[in-house]
Amino acid sequence: MKNDVHFIRCHICEAVNHDNGENHKCRRCHSPIYHNLKLSYHKTLAFLITAIILYIPANIYPILISKQFGIISESTIMGGIMHLWESGSYPIALIILVASVFVPLLKFIFIIYLLIATRYKLNSSQQDKHKLFYITEAIGPWSMVDVFVVIILSVLIHFSGIQVIPGAGATAFALMVFFTMISALSFDTRLISEKHNTSLEGNT
Amino acid sequence: MITEHELDNLIICKKCHTLHERLPLLGKKKALCSKCNVLLYQNNPNIINKTLAMVVTAAISLFLAFYFTIISINIQGLEKDLNLYSLFLVLIEHHQYIVGIIFIFLIFIFPITIIVAMLTLLILMKQKKNPYLVKRLLIILAHIRPWSMIDIFFISLLVAMVKLFDYASIEFGVAFIAFAFTLILDIIITKNISFDALWRKYQESYGRVNEE
Repeated sequence: MKNDVHFIRCHICEAVNHDNGENHKCRRCHSPIYHNLKLSYHKTLAFLITAIILYIPANIYPILISKQFGIISESTIMGGIMHLWESGSYPIALIILVASVFVPLLKFIFIIYLLIATRYKLNSSQQDKHKLFYITEAIGPWSMVDVFVVIILSVLIHFSGIQVIPGAGATAFALMVFFTMISALSFDTRLISEKHNTSLEGNT
Repeated sequence: MITEHELDNLIICKKCHTLHERLPLLGKKKALCSKCNVLLYQNNPNIINKTLAMVVTAAISLFLAFYFTIISINIQGLEKDLNLYSLFLVLIEHHQYIVGIIFIFLIFIFPITIIVAMLTLLILMKQKKNPYLVKRLLIILAHIRPWSMIDIFFISLLVAMVKLFDYASIEFGVAFIAFAFTLILDIIITKNISFDALWRKYQESYGRVNEE
């Protein structure tokens, strides 16, 4: 019945608003809904690139350094997972593998796909893209697990003889997660629907 | 153009952004999205009282979780406690400032802000006072919500415990149980309570407050 008007969901208070161009304020919470779509696109891209760059040192540098009576041994993320796998803790190895390798990579791929799709008007369903974005936002924080584990271990194993210290990889990894989250948050969902405005779903 | 009142009767699914019309629901039925089966809305006449009860409980358990020892380990007579104080101390000692700041915000500052903001907000809404502050708090909450990582911290704690299991004997502290409790309440409060319902309640109690 109202197919000639387009609607948009305020990302702060979830109210339904008219979608009438740029510079618009939500009718309920008065927060700006869209400053600038182009800016949102470039912000997402910039934060994503930062995150991808940080992903390299996060994997190369040790995330965990252990000192055992003067002998220093370092382990990277993959090294830690391998060690866990070899020592037989398969579930933990899988959790860490999913959380710190698959989740960030999936996030990168999803956001890149969404950016390409909005740029080149790929012919995929708008709903699928919204779902993809929803998943991207939901899985984001879970990659922090490895950093938290390293921090907890460094607190608990802190004796004069044996010490566990978070390495440079932990800092890079934490920043990487931070930037992927910022990247996802600055992605404007209207970018998804903008090119397909005419095909907006009717109500049920 | 359609009126504000008609706009209020529409709802967009948070997952697939399909537009739906709100229909009155009978009793405890739930409205689900027609495309992806995500919960859209449900009848919740007591939302403020229910949420307030949960937030007060969460505030108490969060205090216990941060105040007492979470777990303590024992490696051949050497003991070590894990609590908030030792967390900060060790992070500073190892010069992990960036990780430390991120950690403090995600685990300590944001969860506390959420609980305090919710508490203030709900008490004010119950007394129908100060619409301006209520609105600010609702907006702040929407911004902070994705950044609270109590749940992830708890999973990390379990992972770390499994890693330590072979070398040390682990003892649970009071805060461990409090943490588990906080986690459940935190999931209910930040993920399951419909903020749309709170905003509707806000409109109901204060009318449409126009700022500009």
